[in-house]
Amino acid sequence: MTGRNVASTALKAREFPILVALAAVVVTTGLVNPTFASSEGISAILIESSVIGLLAASQSMLIIMRQIDLSVGSTTGLVAFLVGQNAAANIGVPFTISVVVGMAVGFAVGIVNGFFIAYLGLPSLVVTIAMLYVVRGVFSQLAGGETITADQVPAPLVELGSGSIFGVPYLFVCALIGAISVTLLLRYSRWGRDLYAIGSNPEAALRVGIPVARRTFVAFALSGIFTGVAGLLLLGRFSFADATSGLGIELYVIAACVIGGVAIAGGVGTAMGALIGAVLLQTITFALGALGVSQFWQQAVAGALLVLAITFDRVVAVRSARRVVRQVEVLA
Amino acid sequence: MVKTSLATKAVAVTLGVLVIAGLTAMPAQAAPKSGLKIAIIPKAINNGYFTAWNKGAQKACKEISATCKYMGPTTATGPAQVAFINQAIQQGYNAIVISAADQNAITPALKKAIARKICIVTSDADITDTKSRTVAVLPASSERIGAAEVDWIAAQIGNKGKVAVLSAAATAANQNAWIDAMKRQLAAKYPNITLAGVYYGDDDATKSAQQYGQILTEHPDIAGIISPTTVGIRAAAQEKKSKGSKVAITGLGLPSEMAPYVLDGTVKEFGLWNPIDLGYVGTMAAAECASGNLKQANGAKFTAGGKSYTQGANGVVYLGDPYKFDSSNIVAFSKIY
Amino acid sequence: MMALQRLRLTAWDRGIVLLLILTLLFGGMFSELFMAGDNLNFVISDVSEVLLIAFPMALLIIVRDIDLSVASSLTLASAVIGITYEATLSMPIAVVAGLATGSLCGLVNGLLVTKLGLSSLAVTIGTLALYRGLCFVLLGDMPISSFPMEWTDLAFYPIGSTFLPWSVVLLALFGALFWYLLHGTRFGRWCYAIGQGEEAAAYSGIPVDRVRLLLFVMTGFMAGLAGLVYTLRFASASPDGAMGYELIVIAAVLFGGVAIAGGIGTMWGVIAAVLVWGASRSLLQLAGFDANALVIVSGLLLLVSVAIPQLISRLREQLGHRSPRGGNPTRGEASLPSGNEVVHPSPAGAGHDQGSN
Repeated sequence: MTGRNVASTALKAREFPILVALAAVVVTTGLVNPTFASSEGISAILIESSVIGLLAASQSMLIIMRQIDLSVGSTTGLVAFLVGQNAAANIGVPFTISVVVGMAVGFAVGIVNGFFIAYLGLPSLVVTIAMLYVVRGVFSQLAGGETITADQVPAPLVELGSGSIFGVPYLFVCALIGAISVTLLLRYSRWGRDLYAIGSNPEAALRVGIPVARRTFVAFALSGIFTGVAGLLLLGRFSFADATSGLGIELYVIAACVIGGVAIAGGVGTAMGALIGAVLLQTITFALGALGVSQFWQQAVAGALLVLAITFDRVVAVRSARRVVRQVEVLA
Repeated sequence: MVKTSLATKAVAVTLGVLVIAGLTAMPAQAAPKSGLKIAIIPKAINNGYFTAWNKGAQKACKEISATCKYMGPTTATGPAQVAFINQAIQQGYNAIVISAADQNAITPALKKAIARKICIVTSDADITDTKSRTVAVLPASSERIGAAEVDWIAAQIGNKGKVAVLSAAATAANQNAWIDAMKRQLAAKYPNITLAGVYYGDDDATKSAQQYGQILTEHPDIAGIISPTTVGIRAAAQEKKSKGSKVAITGLGLPSEMAPYVLDGTVKEFGLWNPIDLGYVGTMAAAECASGNLKQANGAKFTAGGKSYTQGANGVVYLGDPYKFDSSNIVAFSKIY
Repeated sequence: MMALQRLRLTAWDRGIVLLLILTLLFGGMFSELFMAGDNLNFVISDVSEVLLIAFPMALLIIVRDIDLSVASSLTLASAVIGITYEATLSMPIAVVAGLATGSLCGLVNGLLVTKLGLSSLAVTIGTLALYRGLCFVLLGDMPISSFPMEWTDLAFYPIGSTFLPWSVVLLALFGALFWYLLHGTRFGRWCYAIGQGEEAAAYSGIPVDRVRLLLFVMTGFMAGLAGLVYTLRFASASPDGAMGYELIVIAAVLFGGVAIAGGIGTMWGVIAAVLVWGASRSLLQLAGFDANALVIVSGLLLLVSVAIPQLISRLREQLGHRSPRGGNPTRGEASLPSGNEVVHPSPAGAGHDQGSN
């Protein structure tokens, strides 16, 4: 038990440097360009990080157990489009139906992924790259050149996309709720702790009787539902969807997880960390613009910072792991 | 889906055989031959603008009894278009009407098509090497499109202040030419308007919306945004509507997509040419070319839909200035494209 | 165990070669357009960049690493070729500069992965953005298209009176080279050994990190070479070229029977897989399917390619032919890499896992 407490302290410590980095970026940029650190500036960053943040939070669950889901970009876009199309075709349909449709589509893709990965034992990278193509192809076929425009989007979603509470955009509140619930689920439920165990050492997890396949399947199904919600947020955020919606965002999602301290090697990290990673990623993008870095340099600098963040995180992780080992030795 | 595709194919092949048989027998004549096979290749298939463009192309095809196939990539890149140019070559099409997603990358493939006696017409977006296509059917000269957009924004912001451009991809040839023209127009006519910067939304709704956010963060005092792309202007209008800003927005947009924003006052006026006409005239030119009636020659004429069009230098045909939309005409046009 | 894996593998390998033959036969029967020299020329040209990068990527995945930055490296090499040619008006210098750029991209990836012990998936997502960004820094909004005709003609005309494009020379040369490297040399055996168990490989004296570093440099070099082919084929260098190729290359390699968990795969399988992918796309297109259908089929091919061998081995197990691998408890559950300790301070366990299996 003590060992677990120490470990969870170390987990917290992993997020600390990211928060420091985030604060540093906001303050420095804010000094140069005051609009950036104004409440509108920060609210803009939070809005832009919400969809990626929620996806990263749910992705962290998979990466922690050494899985990955690259199909989230296609699925998010598909959900956004289908919900918009469904709402437009059935004017006056209750908003809850839209929500159910969105979550059901995400769930469906999630269980297909989960089935192949958990029960057929196929590698998740391969299955989800394949699903990235399949879902995107089906989506493009359904959408064609059709666009879902603002007047077709259910009003509550539009409100969700533009409103805020105490200055915090609703969208970000959704992402935050998602990240907190995944974090708590993983830290305090038996189910969640199993995921960490699987990610740390899959063979050992199996030997101590953790039903690895079932955990994997449920994690993908759950992640599918979150992806569905992310699709709703995407539709709310842009009040628009077409065949290109969500294209290519999967790599940003993984990047957010990595920056947020969710180790690709599994077993480490939290959903909150992943969300903070998404916010940091977005903050850097905005900060570069606010600092007057040319458009053409922005991506290069962002890429360099990403590599730097991964390196830095690695150094911190190695150090905190050493500390854990030392502390465990002391306690023993 | 599989069934219909196979059926379509069967019909296409049968028609193709008939066409080829017919072609050899018929002498060249003034009107376009009937039964031509024409490939209509957009920058990307899943784009409302090109759906409208194709509507015009199909209308032309129907009038001249041609078999036209609308085919193109899912993402707007030149290399992705090349596979479809190859398809048109293999399947023995008589002509290709293409909106170039890349001003250079498709040229080698088009040269191969020309070697197979396939007529090439660029419509909507041209390539750099004007020898690799017969004619280009374009909306208006870059100068006029760029200048018009500057005039629209100037009128809305009272001839002074900061404006930004929200463009498509950094490499989009059309947009870059228009932006250059905007800069010249600003320098020549509007000394009190400064260009704050050019932002690239890559013709992606998400990125364009985020670039709008960037513009407002970097330049809180921005007076106007010109977005010379249908994806960009729509994203900017939606962002303005949901966030409530005072910035004036204009550029090139589809009336059907922009109508709600004009009616609620988010956008005062913007413009566009008629993509249906572009597709129509482009396809007619391709048919004339494939019938042996049209070659690239300065001053040469051809007719489409009863109207006569004259080639300028390098085989460029302009359809006319962009048309301006505002609350008085948007409803009517939004029903068309 | 090794022998059995080889056996199973060869079976898949043969399967994919058979699939290629069937595709070509079916293609020939279905449509004479498909077998036309002109079309085959296009199919080969169209897969040449993917295939060139797939050669080293297969080795990289066999040692359980991955490189997602290849498309960006390709484009960066292409941009450097363009810039250098404009500056020096010498294509040979430009080509050397391009290949050097590719190799450098690979070297940076390799150093970050091996020296700092970072996960290759994470690092190369970062350098994917970095290298692509540098393309925009170099070229901005001005693609370069002023390449000399003697060079672009190489990509335009086939070899003599055959239908083969000139890129076949590169494909044959490097295909043979990488085939020999993987299947005929000690280095190749090392790759399999590392993939099957890095720690064991290290204990048996294999210079694990040096092998991995070298593979990253090779991948970068080949991306540079693919950049040259791409530049010549499209007679231009543009900062947004080859978008999304990284996933196509990886998908093709996995389709070819290389296991993402490492240690398994052959060059024949990879080559056949890329050709099947290219040929089936061409066939579908000639049959009138649109681009959306092509995307769906690419995904289904990949899914089927990993699902079928797995189902076959399951079936065998159920029929009582329990293989030694069947005894491995992680098989048949979630397919996971054999346990490397995570957050382990020693370099052996450090960040080498894909985690993504």
